[in-house]
Amino acid sequence: MAALATFLVPVLLLLLCGPDPCPAAAHSQPEVKCVLFNEEYMNCTWGSRETLKANYSLYYWYRNTSNKVECKHYRQDQDIRVGCHFNQNEIIQFQPFHVLLKASMGGSTLEISKRMELQDLVKPDAPVNLTIHNMSNNQLQLTWATTYPKAKCLEHAVKYKSNKDTDWMEISVNGDVFSLPSVDYKKFYTFYVRSKVNKYCGRTQLWSEWSVPVVWGSNSTSKSTVHWFWIHTVLIPIASCVILLVLVILLVRMERVWVILMPRIPNPSKNFDELFITHNGNFQEWAGVPKDVVESFKPNYSENICYVSELPPKDSYDPLWESSNPPPSVMPSASPAPGEHSPYKNSYGRV
Amino acid sequence: MFHAFFRSTLPVLPLLLVLSPVNSSSCAMENKTTEIHVKYENILIHDINELVNISAQNRDRCCKNKNDKNIKVFFCNDTQEIESLQSMACNMLRFFHKQRISKAFRWKAAFVSCGTLQVLKCKCEGHRKEKVICPHVNVFGKEDTETGEQSRKKCNQEVCELKENISSLRSCWNKFEKIISR
Repeated sequence: MAALATFLVPVLLLLLCGPDPCPAAAHSQPEVKCVLFNEEYMNCTWGSRETLKANYSLYYWYRNTSNKVECKHYRQDQDIRVGCHFNQNEIIQFQPFHVLLKASMGGSTLEISKRMELQDLVKPDAPVNLTIHNMSNNQLQLTWATTYPKAKCLEHAVKYKSNKDTDWMEISVNGDVFSLPSVDYKKFYTFYVRSKVNKYCGRTQLWSEWSVPVVWGSNSTSKSTVHWFWIHTVLIPIASCVILLVLVILLVRMERVWVILMPRIPNPSKNFDELFITHNGNFQEWAGVPKDVVESFKPNYSENICYVSELPPKDSYDPLWESSNPPPSVMPSASPAPGEHSPYKNSYGRV
Repeated sequence: MFHAFFRSTLPVLPLLLVLSPVNSSSCAMENKTTEIHVKYENILIHDINELVNISAQNRDRCCKNKNDKNIKVFFCNDTQEIESLQSMACNMLRFFHKQRISKAFRWKAAFVSCGTLQVLKCKCEGHRKEKVICPHVNVFGKEDTETGEQSRKKCNQEVCELKENISSLRSCWNKFEKIISR
């Protein structure tokens, strides 16, 4: 069983790791990255103090493997080699550049190799001496210079905006002149330029840093912009609030105006003082309603019947009760017939 | 005796002419860098970029394991850029018939080789491959690279060599452009 285990472990390791030396369990392979700064010097780095588990040595060569040279100027981070610095005389472009990282760790040798084309790793310096020229027809012309040895191998990008714009405009330029037509003299412009090796001289994707900016436009425009900002955001709101406050105070103090704007709600209670004070709330009495009308609305009201008859004229008709015949008996009835006499002579009943 | 002298020395002269080293290049555009620059910038660079893209799509895992000594490397020698480009272009033509390389890839490589030789007005020494291949590629090259088979072959030695050749050709053109840009 033990013999089987000792046989299987190397086989497993060989299958997992392959013919190359197997790296340590928690070690990730570093990658060499080189940048050629303005074709003056080059820095190659392969990690940092935190990521590197071994102290690597770098070897490089161009044509023949037999001409391997070790790095002469290592860059260190607390006694750990993290990169290599190459002087200009150690750099050859347009030839395959080979690097080999070597380290010993735990009895095994770690090796990482990489092949590069240095002309594809060039990062030019930022353009310098940005100058603005006033041309005719409200046109601006921006020119600049470069410290890169082959200016014709560069392409450029110009970034600009005015003080009224929110976003930057970025334009690609092949030469070393940029024209901006129809500028506004009331605006304040800012320009930046950066460079890159063009596709004819290499395949680099590395742009330079943005240049030191150059500005154009009247300085007063910029100052007045600041003043306007304070006026708009501070002075006007405060003045508006003060004026509003004064108006409100005046409004309150001037009752005539106040009454027009805020008319009083009518209070009819004075009209009813007599009702409540003099007549003690007796509405009928205050309104002058006759007493009998008031009485008639009471639920237990009963009214005596009052018979009313009309005396006939003397010439035409003698009343029956003036003859010998006794007067007819008078039967009380709710509604006496017209013409019949009532117990009250010559009187009209009140109904 | 006089006759014997001339008979013995006469063949020496042609022999000297044949054996003398020929230093002159077989390219006719040696001093016409402006014309080369215009043709490269306007035409050839686009085909080179397409070829580089096709090359990147082809599998190259086996190329890293192969011994570099087996792959012939061309260098872009200083002051001999045109001759170096000529060597690279002529060498690239020999991959045109390699069946282990995908058809689109080798046709595009031949197209770029022929374009390079045309721009530099160079001829290939020896078997003069360009006389046989270039007329055919220039007529049918575009069609076959666009509509030809897109199947990718397995990684092999010839693919590795062709990729190396293409990389060297592109770099040498970059170097030449950089030198003539003044």
